[in-house]
Amino acid sequence: MGAELFDLRPALAPLVSAICAGLVMLVGYRPGWRAGLALAAPVLKFGVVWSMLPGALAGTTYRISFGEVLPGLAFAFRVDALGLFFALVSSTLWIAATVYALAYMRGRPGQQRFFGFFALCVSTTVGIAFAENLMTLFVFYELLTVCTYPLLMHDGGLRVRRAGRRYLVYTLSGGALILAGMLLVWHLAGTLSLAGNGILSGVDSRPALLAVFVMLTAGFGVKAAIMPLHAWLPSAMVAPVPVSALLHAVAVVKAGAFGLLRVIYNVFGVDLMRELGYAQVLGAVAGATIILASIVALRQQRLKPLLAWSTISQLSYIVLAASLLTPAAAVAAIIHLANQAFAKITLFFAVGAIERGTGKTRIDELDGIGYRMPLVMGAFTVASLSFIGVPLLAGFITKWYLSLGALEAGAGGYVALLAVSALLNAMYWLPILYRAFFRRPESPAPVRPVSLMMRLPTLVCAIYVVILGIGAEAPAMPFVLAESAVRFAFGMHGVAP
Amino acid sequence: MSIGQWVPLAAILAPLIGAAWIRVAGPGRCAGAAVAIGAVVVAFAGCTLLAFIAGRGASPALALIALVPPIHLTLRVDALGALFGLTVAALYVPATFHAVSWLRDDAYWRLYHTVALACLALMLLVAFAGNLVTLLVGYELFSLVSFLLIVHRRTPDAFRAGIKYLAYVIPGAALTLIGTVIVFFAAGSVGFAPGGLDVPAGSAGMLTVAWVCLVFGFGVKAALFPLHGWIPDAHPAAPAPFSGILSGVMVATGAFAIVRVAYEIFGPVRLEALGVMPWLAIPAALGVVVAGVLAVGEDHLKRRLAWSTISQMGYATLAASLLEPRALAGALVHLANHAFIKGGLFFAVGAVAAVAGIHRVSELPGLSRRMPVTAVVITVLAAALVGLPPLAGFIGKWWLVTGAAEAGAWPVLTVLLLGSVLAALYLWPVVFAAWSAPPELRSGSPVRRDEPWNGMLAAALVTAVLAVVFGVAAAATGYPLGLAVRAAAALAGGS
Repeated sequence: MGAELFDLRPALAPLVSAICAGLVMLVGYRPGWRAGLALAAPVLKFGVVWSMLPGALAGTTYRISFGEVLPGLAFAFRVDALGLFFALVSSTLWIAATVYALAYMRGRPGQQRFFGFFALCVSTTVGIAFAENLMTLFVFYELLTVCTYPLLMHDGGLRVRRAGRRYLVYTLSGGALILAGMLLVWHLAGTLSLAGNGILSGVDSRPALLAVFVMLTAGFGVKAAIMPLHAWLPSAMVAPVPVSALLHAVAVVKAGAFGLLRVIYNVFGVDLMRELGYAQVLGAVAGATIILASIVALRQQRLKPLLAWSTISQLSYIVLAASLLTPAAAVAAIIHLANQAFAKITLFFAVGAIERGTGKTRIDELDGIGYRMPLVMGAFTVASLSFIGVPLLAGFITKWYLSLGALEAGAGGYVALLAVSALLNAMYWLPILYRAFFRRPESPAPVRPVSLMMRLPTLVCAIYVVILGIGAEAPAMPFVLAESAVRFAFGMHGVAP
Repeated sequence: MSIGQWVPLAAILAPLIGAAWIRVAGPGRCAGAAVAIGAVVVAFAGCTLLAFIAGRGASPALALIALVPPIHLTLRVDALGALFGLTVAALYVPATFHAVSWLRDDAYWRLYHTVALACLALMLLVAFAGNLVTLLVGYELFSLVSFLLIVHRRTPDAFRAGIKYLAYVIPGAALTLIGTVIVFFAAGSVGFAPGGLDVPAGSAGMLTVAWVCLVFGFGVKAALFPLHGWIPDAHPAAPAPFSGILSGVMVATGAFAIVRVAYEIFGPVRLEALGVMPWLAIPAALGVVVAGVLAVGEDHLKRRLAWSTISQMGYATLAASLLEPRALAGALVHLANHAFIKGGLFFAVGAVAAVAGIHRVSELPGLSRRMPVTAVVITVLAAALVGLPPLAGFIGKWWLVTGAAEAGAWPVLTVLLLGSVLAALYLWPVVFAAWSAPPELRSGSPVRRDEPWNGMLAAALVTAVLAVVFGVAAAATGYPLGLAVRAAAALAGGS
């Protein structure tokens, strides 16, 4: 293990975005300033996060602490491999999402508020990634709920208000569960640190451990949309497209999944989880979610709900992978944070561009769209094929490690389940591609030109899906980082998983 | 690091570059055709070179990128890969000429060439794959991409055939992935090794599951009996040059992959121990007979040939399932020769359909007057497929039959002979009809000869010449017989 270094950057990363967000709120009535600051927030954060990568790869852990809230409980940041991986994914995607949002929101009311909160979300997400202990994580996790709420409510109206209420009810209840679980952890272990691999390992009381496990997994499971805690997600589709992309690919759902990874790998630890056996139940729930959500997705007529149900299914890949408790599965869990994010955000961007260009939102209206928007639908194709698990695309990598991990765990049934899920994915993505590229439209409606600022992020994210699929050694998304996170969680040193 | 290591990569990249060029630069018809032919010829030259290199033993592996660490995309050339790669590339040369003529008035000609070239690159990736994951990547991708060629005509029939194709191929791909993961889990490696891999962690039950997954997965492509349903629909739907490729080499890819898996992943010894080979032999034998019978009753020309492909692929799989070097050599020779013979038949039938508008056996009478050269080509190729000496089909069957006899597998021998009889039964009417007098002649009106000298005819003619050469001079050419014998020896030698 490398050294632990005191460094400002873990705190700087959330801070720069927060400052930009504050400035947007102050001077954001000027479009130029607003755009510049909204873009500066993710770009600056991106720079700060990336600057820590070489050190992290060399084994250095950066940390910073801001005094103790309670004795032994500090408000602190710490950059380990897992956190940095999540931060890299979110900061990379956030630039794309902001560029896209600037074009998408042009001419809509309330942009100052929108971009202010948009930038604030960057800040909270990286705070979650770099949180040193459960309390810091919890604070940012709740802040994320608060910051996304105005974004979700942006368009106003009855349906939106109803969806927003549902979102708050679900996520705040989840937050309350996390709080309760956290207090119990504090009581049992006397620490909330996420720096080790298993702070609860010394605890004997089974009922208490069960209570902690249920509260924390259910709490984080809300945002990770594990069934039956998923209902907020499809209804949250009323939000503007960049917000949906944010909710489903980058921030909210990933924060839930990331929290679960922290609970399993850092709070309980792999050894204790194996001993307790609760993870098998979680795995079964996740497995059921993968299949059921895909079946629901199969029945969708509109694009955005289809994406929502697909997200629910895909997130449970991460949960399933984490619950298998084997090194290969852990690799799958971590890299799927990135793989799902890039592919899903590509799909959202594409859907938003189609909506902008043609006003179409239903699947059966997409006949021939592939010829009229070749670039956007090309990106859509790449991303959807990735979900099916076509080789050389990101999804294949997840599928490989997850299947391997299931075999390692002696749960061969999940390999079959993944195959079924791939088939279900094929059954709802391929008909869309078929319509788009092989059907002739009945009355070719004119396509309004879509801004390059919307098409370019779509394309870039699709390219990322390919890079993630062919390059375990890709410079952009260090696979080694995921590997080193896995090695840490499993207490292995220098062994490839 | 020898220069030979890079030749397979060059052979794979050449068609990809050609495909990208046609797609991106959007050349005119002549330039586009030239690019497509040039790319195929370069790939062919590379594969020829590799066949010579492989004659001197397997080349060292070239690891490209870490796909799923510790597994890399790896290229390696051995006799088996060189044999298959050369067959694919060699069939592509006439097929591309055929396509240029066939697509003369086709709006989507660029798409055809792009996808066909991409398929060539991916099939070469399968041929030169150094491990099972690389093979899987090539296999899954070309399975998916070739959908675009099957639906090329954009007719409802074509789409129905294409969707049926996907409905077979996608579950097949899922199965192969499961099998591959189990192999990696059990053996800790997916590299091909003559004699099979060591499997410290695998129980017999797990290995059997892996075997079943892989055989069913690849069997979808190899037209293994209950998994053949897409083939009779896909062939008539696809453009004629692609039907030739489909039957000639793409279906053979499945059989090739099964041979790879059987000999270089599991190994004959372990397969004997698992006792799974009869379960491969039975569907293969059923395929030979049932598809042969169905071909006899089929009037549509391309469908009849498609049934014939299913039957002929059954030969190769059946022979490979004997785990006997001589029969394996026969299977490999048969795969290669069948590629040219069946490819040529589809080229010829495609020309007949394009020029004379004839799609059915019952419409053939008078063909020898209208298109005499084509009729001769069909006759020669049909004779070769039935296995008349000294044509190419005979060589493969001879090795198959003698191999089966050596192994004492009399049921297999019976099936092989029955298959030949059936081949004669479903091909003889075609030849007979082609040479019989047209109805117009009886009514007194003259029949004009309209046989344009174009790429379609040239392609059919070239394959007919090859069918003769590979039969008459089988021992002298070194391909496919010499290479196949060498490959079989290398595969069986490790056991």
